Amino acid sequence: MTIQIVLAAIVFVGAYVLIATEKVPRIAVALGGAALMVIIGATDDHGVFFSEDTGIDWNVIFLLLGMMIIVGILQQSGVFEFLAIWAAKRAKGRPFVIMVMLVVITAVLSAFLDNVTTVLLIAPVTLLICDRLGTPPVPFLIAEVMASNIGGTSTLIGDPPNIIIASRAGLTFNDFVVNLAPIVAILLVVFVGMCWLLFRKQLHYDAERAARVMALNEREAIRDVPLLIKSLSVLALVLAGFILHSVIHLEPAIVALLGAGLLILLTRLENRKIFADVEWETLVFFAGLFIMVGSLVNLGIIEMIGKVAVDAVGTNYFGAATGLLVGSAFFSGIVDNIPYVATLAPLTNDLVMAGGAAAHPLWWSLALGADLGGNATAIGASANVVVLGIAKRNGHPISFWEFTKYGLIVTAVTIALCIPYLWLRYFMG
Amino acid sequence: MLASDLQIPLPMVDRSTSAVEAAQLIASKHLPGLVVADKGGAPVAIVSSADVLRLMLPPYLIDDMSLAGVMDESGAEEMWAKSAGRTIGELLEDTRVNVRDILHVDADDSLVELAAKMVYAHALVAVVDGTPGEWRFVTLPLVMDAILAACGVNGSAA
Repeated sequence: MTIQIVLAAIVFVGAYVLIATEKVPRIAVALGGAALMVIIGATDDHGVFFSEDTGIDWNVIFLLLGMMIIVGILQQSGVFEFLAIWAAKRAKGRPFVIMVMLVVITAVLSAFLDNVTTVLLIAPVTLLICDRLGTPPVPFLIAEVMASNIGGTSTLIGDPPNIIIASRAGLTFNDFVVNLAPIVAILLVVFVGMCWLLFRKQLHYDAERAARVMALNEREAIRDVPLLIKSLSVLALVLAGFILHSVIHLEPAIVALLGAGLLILLTRLENRKIFADVEWETLVFFAGLFIMVGSLVNLGIIEMIGKVAVDAVGTNYFGAATGLLVGSAFFSGIVDNIPYVATLAPLTNDLVMAGGAAAHPLWWSLALGADLGGNATAIGASANVVVLGIAKRNGHPISFWEFTKYGLIVTAVTIALCIPYLWLRYFMG
Repeated sequence: MLASDLQIPLPMVDRSTSAVEAAQLIASKHLPGLVVADKGGAPVAIVSSADVLRLMLPPYLIDDMSLAGVMDESGAEEMWAKSAGRTIGELLEDTRVNVRDILHVDADDSLVELAAKMVYAHALVAVVDGTPGEWRFVTLPLVMDAILAACGVNGSAA
């Protein structure tokens, strides 16, 4: 083992610890770690910028950028608020029915928007509805963020770890829908039942308060009808582009960028509004992570660990899939699932390359574990942290343990249900 | 003209001042903002009247402007009533509100110095140092008036 490998491992583990403990801004850690990898010679300019295996994954960066622009423009139309209030009125102000409708809306939206954006859209309107209902908003907010993490699992663009997995594994939008959407639909039904068990005692119907919900005018939420039509049309085109990948042969990143460009042309908004929702910090964080993980690949560290994993797994791919599922859920509950998946993706790739088609379901184990594991704790996913912040700002603080006690139950049940799904779908017989 | 020629006394609020009391002060005296005093009564910060207005709205309405139009009259009345319990202290702790430290100017600062300092600091109000006794302040409208007067235009009457 060379000194270079030891130094790279120290930089990587150190960066991971700093990201997990959140003592230093994660963007500074990712860029600092990347810089140290270059300084110790673990990678170089060609490796960073031009290598598909060891460099920045531009497919991921630009897919995120394109979708952030499209969603940022779409959300200015007010359509999501319209939808939430419309649903609350259809529920006639009955709290549990409203919760179910908001959970379903959040999960479906989350499949097409990133989870943080989804909860940023749904949380304020939830607070308004709960204010009108005179019911505590905390159960609603917790249920929604968990629905967001569950719903986001179902598509390539629903959760950033899926984008990384898709790019590394060469999986398409349709692959994700076909393999993950069925189990996500089952999990969502079960989750609605769990909401009844976990939250029903906190929800009370009051006819007078329900009338106040009915008095809300959802049509006023739509601020710009032409913008709404243009944005929804472009989003539909982009989704069609993802689905028709095998026909048009355009990578998701290109489809998203073309969609973003078209929407900018159609709406002619000022730059401030076009880029309002682009999280530059997140994009740079991703770049730093890819450089760090790429350095480990470059030095052969991932290959070494991969060989050990391949020997350990043998041909027991169901055991490996279960281990990866549970392990990913565990780690994703503790650390950000983005760096976790960025690290595990090349390792999973080694296992899949060694095992062929029989090992291919490992990708789905990684996605399910990493995405659903985000529900386990209050810091398991960025969306959780965002909702806790919104709740606190509005005078309804949710403590770490209040969230986590529900999160652990939901994660345990959803992960447990994934095991028979993986068995029945990929390993039976 | 010097800062001491423009200085006036202004009412000050503290952390415990309610949103309603703060709004009453702004509305009755047409103030651009309020001076916040520390425990010892010394001016430390400025909150703009827009920031005080923010206190009277639930944060979720500021997070999502689309929701502002959906509420009916009775809902709005209920909302205003709820804001009565909020205080200036909450505003000072809100990381999204840019509460500015109060600008200090000298009593012998010229009008040009005063204007330049206020523009640089984006200040609505500045405290005038070097005058004994009660705290004295200059406000942006007073500075504007003085500048217009120097231009030969009657600012207040215009």
